[in-house]
Amino acid sequence: MKTRDYILFAILLAVAAAFPFMGVPRYIIASALLLFCYATVVSQWNLVFGVAGIFSLAQLAIFAFGAYTSALMGRYLDWSLWPTFPVAGAAGVVFSIFIGLACLRMRGIYVALLTLAISQTMFVLIQTDSDCSALNKVINPATCVSFTGGAQGLGDFGTFGWREVLGGRNWMMGDYYTMLGLLIVALVFTAAMTQSRIGLAFKALRDNEELATSRGVSVFKYQLIVFAASAFLTSMAGAFYAAHFGSVGSNLVGFALLLFLISMLVVGGIGRLWGPLLGAGLLMVADEFFKEFSDLRNIGLGVVVLLFMIFLPEGVAGAIESVCKRLQRIPLVQRIEQQLAERLRRRSAAPD
Amino acid sequence: MNFFIQIIVSGLTFGAMYALAAVGLALVWGAFNMLNMAHGIIMTLGAYFVLVWAELFGLPLWFAGPFAFLAGGIVGAIIYFISAHWMLTQKNFEVTIIIATFGLGMALEAGLMKLLRELFQAAPYAQPLSLGADSFLVGDVPVSYQRLIIWAVAVALIVLVALFLTRTTMGRAIRATAQNRDAARLMGVKVKRVYVIVLALASGLAGVAGIMLSSFKDVVPLMGQTPMLKAFIVIVLAGLGNMTGALYAALLIGMVEAAVKVLVADKWGFLAMLVVVVIAIIWRPAGLFGKHQIARQ
Repeated sequence: MKTRDYILFAILLAVAAAFPFMGVPRYIIASALLLFCYATVVSQWNLVFGVAGIFSLAQLAIFAFGAYTSALMGRYLDWSLWPTFPVAGAAGVVFSIFIGLACLRMRGIYVALLTLAISQTMFVLIQTDSDCSALNKVINPATCVSFTGGAQGLGDFGTFGWREVLGGRNWMMGDYYTMLGLLIVALVFTAAMTQSRIGLAFKALRDNEELATSRGVSVFKYQLIVFAASAFLTSMAGAFYAAHFGSVGSNLVGFALLLFLISMLVVGGIGRLWGPLLGAGLLMVADEFFKEFSDLRNIGLGVVVLLFMIFLPEGVAGAIESVCKRLQRIPLVQRIEQQLAERLRRRSAAPD
Repeated sequence: MNFFIQIIVSGLTFGAMYALAAVGLALVWGAFNMLNMAHGIIMTLGAYFVLVWAELFGLPLWFAGPFAFLAGGIVGAIIYFISAHWMLTQKNFEVTIIIATFGLGMALEAGLMKLLRELFQAAPYAQPLSLGADSFLVGDVPVSYQRLIIWAVAVALIVLVALFLTRTTMGRAIRATAQNRDAARLMGVKVKRVYVIVLALASGLAGVAGIMLSSFKDVVPLMGQTPMLKAFIVIVLAGLGNMTGALYAALLIGMVEAAVKVLVADKWGFLAMLVVVVIAIIWRPAGLFGKHQIARQ
């Protein structure tokens, strides 16, 4: 990370913090906070897929696992949702470690197929869960639903509770800043993780596994670390999602959402620092613009993913990077850069 | 005894359908390390092809099968030319092609849904190319004639594919490409033509598998997704690219699914398969029938 990354981060942070006070309509705030939620998931996914190079498609399963953990605890144990968030995060970590263990001896494509099958298993189990659950009979005997709510989804487990604190007009602000907080934690966490020794080990294993293992980097250890580390915030994001909408459903592990998140990852740039944020931002803005053509949404997303994979597999972040590199080769730009660096050095060297 | 026969009968049926879908996937992976995530939508298209053929155009039903194979093949070739053809030189082709075909498959699926909403009113349709519930008894278990047809067609198609691969020049070219792409190219094999043909063949088989699937459950737009994932599980179990292995693994997975369905409940079938595969892979990382160590990234 360079100075310009920190500056960019600070600017974005200021804009995001001031955003609700700029007089934008409420539904825009709602999609912005959804953006934060997805960007959190994609940033964690980027850690697994982009940085560690493990092609896992289970990120959504972990996301849904967190959402359901929170929802089920809120509904059946009558907990307020706030204490369920860390529990959901921890449950997601355990779940993810199991997935990591299951695909420990697999490489590349095998991991993708197995993790996809795991997500689909979850989808099928939720969809087909239709037996009336005894726990629900206690809550509402008239409309008995199954334990996970099945194909209809599950509601009635509470929300963040900002409505009681901030009132009916401003509760969205509460949700907005909660989600923003999560995203900030996620971005700082991924950046720190990528820079750390652990992150270096991930990259070493991704780029050349034989060499890395021969230098003493353990696949077993680091694969479990990356699965565990990326799961906590993903699962929390799921729980936050549930708390914002007040309902969860099997669509959380469905192919449509997987396509949406994968397109964020691909458009932003797999393995790039700014990729997830850039991708999530671009996709959400595009989604907002093309709202009228919502029945063409998946066609558009699918084609975008295809085109990016063919022409720009590095994503927008990768493209910007290579444009910058090409710019630096122009003599004039080089001279200006040198002068700026010179001036900076002189200023910092000068006594106060 | 009865439930034993029941498991065998329905296991063989599942196995036959998964085999058709999985052998194609294994063939394509063997030829050029491509996993086609649009495989499921081709199954769906195969099922709808018969529907359109019979209901909309009123053409004779018995020709529908071969033409569905042909239609699947054409879609497969189109998929090659709009995705894989441009990506062959990418350095992690195996990963990028999965994402690309996933996007393509989702786009096709959404397109199909939109089209269908205008062509047909309600979503689920009965597969016209089905003998219905007529059956004969084995012990006390009714076995429908439909199952007999499915077994016969699956065996016939797989024998045809085997003959094609072992007895024709093109088949030899395909096997050569699978063994060593560069050597095959040096021997004058036009590998890109091999890729197209292999993908078309696999997609044709998927189209027929789709008809079979829809003759048990109705024709619905999302019907291909779960069977495709099951076919993926099959080829992972067999070891990627191993065609005979895929055949055995398909039967095994079909039996597991049938056993769970008969003895426990339908909905645990998928989970049971997953558990079988995970245990098998921990035991033998290169798949049950894989000869080599884990495929290099």
